[in-house]
Amino acid sequence: MRTIPETVYFRTKSTLSPETLAQQILPAGWILTLLSSTKEQQAFYDTFEWHAFEKGVAVQKKERILFLIDINSGQKSASVSFQGNPLSFFSETLPDSLLQTKLCSLSNIRAFSRLCLLNTLTTSYRLLDQNSKTVAIIAVESIQLTGHERYQEEIHLLALTPFKGYEEDTTPIHQSLSSLEAVHSVLNFRELFLLVMKCAKQRVQGYSAKFLTKLHPDATIHESALLLLEHTFSVMLLNKNGIKKNIDSEFLHDYRVALRRTRSIMKLLMGIFNERENQYFLNLFRTLGKRTNDLRDRDVYLLRKKSYCNSLPPNLQPSLIPFFEHIAESRKVFHRRLSRYLSSSDYQVSLNEWEGFLNQQTLPDVERTHQGSRSTKSVALETIKRAWKKLLRRGRQISRETTDTELHALRIDCKKLRYLLEFFASIFQPDAIIPVIRQLKELQENLGAFVDASVQIHFLHQQLELIHSDTLFAASMGGLMVTLFQKKEEARLKFNKTFTSFDHEETSQLFHDLLTGSSL
Amino acid sequence: MKAIALYSIKGGVGKTAAAVNLAYLSSRFFPPTLLCDLDPQGASSYYFRISASKKYNSGKFLKGNKKIYSNIKATDFDNLDLLPSDFSYRNLDIELAEEKNPQRKLKKNIEELSNDYQLLFFDSPPNLTLLSESLFAASDIILVPLIPTTLSIRTFMQLKDFFDANKLNSSKIRPFFSMVEKQKKLHRDIINEFRNTPGFLTQTIPYNSEVEKMGLYRAPINAVQPNCPASKAYLHLWEEVTKLTELQG
Ligand SMILES: Nc1ncnc2c1ncn2[C@@H]1O[C@H](COP(=O)(O)OP(=O)(O)OP(=O)(O)O)[C@@H](O)[C@H]1O
Ligand SMILES: [Mg+2]
Repeated sequence: MRTIPETVYFRTKSTLSPETLAQQILPAGWILTLLSSTKEQQAFYDTFEWHAFEKGVAVQKKERILFLIDINSGQKSASVSFQGNPLSFFSETLPDSLLQTKLCSLSNIRAFSRLCLLNTLTTSYRLLDQNSKTVAIIAVESIQLTGHERYQEEIHLLALTPFKGYEEDTTPIHQSLSSLEAVHSVLNFRELFLLVMKCAKQRVQGYSAKFLTKLHPDATIHESALLLLEHTFSVMLLNKNGIKKNIDSEFLHDYRVALRRTRSIMKLLMGIFNERENQYFLNLFRTLGKRTNDLRDRDVYLLRKKSYCNSLPPNLQPSLIPFFEHIAESRKVFHRRLSRYLSSSDYQVSLNEWEGFLNQQTLPDVERTHQGSRSTKSVALETIKRAWKKLLRRGRQISRETTDTELHALRIDCKKLRYLLEFFASIFQPDAIIPVIRQLKELQENLGAFVDASVQIHFLHQQLELIHSDTLFAASMGGLMVTLFQKKEEARLKFNKTFTSFDHEETSQLFHDLLTGSSL
Repeated sequence: MKAIALYSIKGGVGKTAAAVNLAYLSSRFFPPTLLCDLDPQGASSYYFRISASKKYNSGKFLKGNKKIYSNIKATDFDNLDLLPSDFSYRNLDIELAEEKNPQRKLKKNIEELSNDYQLLFFDSPPNLTLLSESLFAASDIILVPLIPTTLSIRTFMQLKDFFDANKLNSSKIRPFFSMVEKQKKLHRDIINEFRNTPGFLTQTIPYNSEVEKMGLYRAPINAVQPNCPASKAYLHLWEEVTKLTELQG
């Protein structure tokens, strides 16, 4: 591979002058010549879930260009011109390029948000050997983080980038730089990235949408449930700002998932907490969930824009423009409404109550909440078993007609089991729980496809009733409904097969292995 | 990756001058470009102030791919790298003769480079040897600078004959006139005579003292004096070459 030698960063206490460098590090006959001096704002971007970092990529904006940089080698792998330093952007909106393709593959649904904005002052020099051949570029850089009013930390660096084929020639320079008194650490690109993030108060990989709470099988279920609830609570808190700032639809999505999980923990583990309080918070979260429905619906339809357009012939596609404009407009209203609520004192009061509830560290009265003192393991086994059996029972009861109502209901049973498996995943061996989840997932996807299509058909039908005169629009709705109806019926037809393969010895064995505790 | 050789049996005709400047232009328009100096005299390397590292020699060159990689050096110009020659290259011929399939050796040795470079230029020593044969096979185009004199034309014909005698693909051979002095009648006559000969490039490189100064600048003339007549001629020559290599569009 044609690689450019890695840049090494020397962190210094203050900016080093070229004179100091010339006196202290250059061999006889070598000189530095000024190449450029630039003052600019740079920025780093990533999604809220650190999709880029997770794949070992840094997304850096500098010199009016957006770069993808391999975090370990510091090598640029793609670039595209980029204006300004927006707070966030979607990969889709970038010009067609290798960079765009790469970013889209990291995430096209999540926005890339600005992690930090840096004021940088860079003076670059060519390092010339005795033949006046450039053997390296030396850049003296100072980086100042913006936006932290009170205390602005400044990072001073000297970056040494040898030219290809001159790595060895510059080793003495590297050595004398490392031993300079003014240099207090030597960093590679990754370390520099982490340093900048630390100064910017960004917790690298501090958020993941995955449910990863670690439980102990012998802890009381009361304790474990609190851990789970603390986790879902933190997810709610972490996503609030992204919802309000309207960065992407996933903030609300994750927020809603956290809400749903909260409710299902409390419902599925009934009897662990005080009955009255339990009911109170269940109600509270249900109302809260309802407040988010309208906005989420709009988000979902806007996300489907492309697929709707693509499923219609070109002459019908324009009729969808006003439809989506209308959705976008109403989305704005719902977004404003929800944001206002999330900033309200009502909401704050509810959160405080909830936090207060979670902070009751003592085990509640054993008499009234006899379940609470049981071990996590025994509750996990029992509830999973019960939910699994229930799913099987209900699934087997489904009639030959597989009516909408039946499938809708079964989907909920499915989801309940899925949640339980996720909550307790950490107390099982991964190789016991993963195949179980995989089996369930197939059934869930089948039912999900069915319910999704029915919900959409219903929604489109409603839209039709709102607009009477536009025949092209009516045709479009018809077209979409036909496609969706086909999908729905396909899912319905497929159901028996998926369920049979779920209600099968193999799955049974997997559940059995999981539940007999041999895998604990 | 396309490989372009600057080649002539005759010495001092402007091979190196063309290789250095065309490679430079190529690195601007079709980055990245590699210039591979095959001449033990190392004139191209010298123009870029580059010399091979002490550990490098013809043996490493003959090992190919990996050994070549670690000896490629960056020039002072973005996207233009150079594989410097070493004085040991003077025995390349003899060493090549001991290899299994010497005519194919060079082609094989540069295979891996094609992942990394869009264009590869060879600057070659003036003679017709086993190395030249290997070079012919490795190159997609063989650019031959010709000073418009009868002697030059005669040596050029020798090259053609060699290709025919050995059943080589002579359509790769693309001569162009170099160091042209328009005020000389002989130059004008020869150019006119060959202007329409198939294979000949139409662009000519004028005699221009700026080219001689490359030894002082130690940089491509197109980089330091882009507006001098020779630089303009190299640019046009480059454009003509890109059409041949189907780099356009
Ligand atoms: N267009 C030109 N105008 C004036 N001088 C030129 C021109 N082209 C080349 N020269 C000079 O002529 C001399 C020979 O040129 P160059 O080294 O490019 O030829 P060459 O074919 O590579 O030679 P060799 O066979 O020795 O490798 C050099 O001093 C060079 O500066
Ligand atoms: Mg030469």
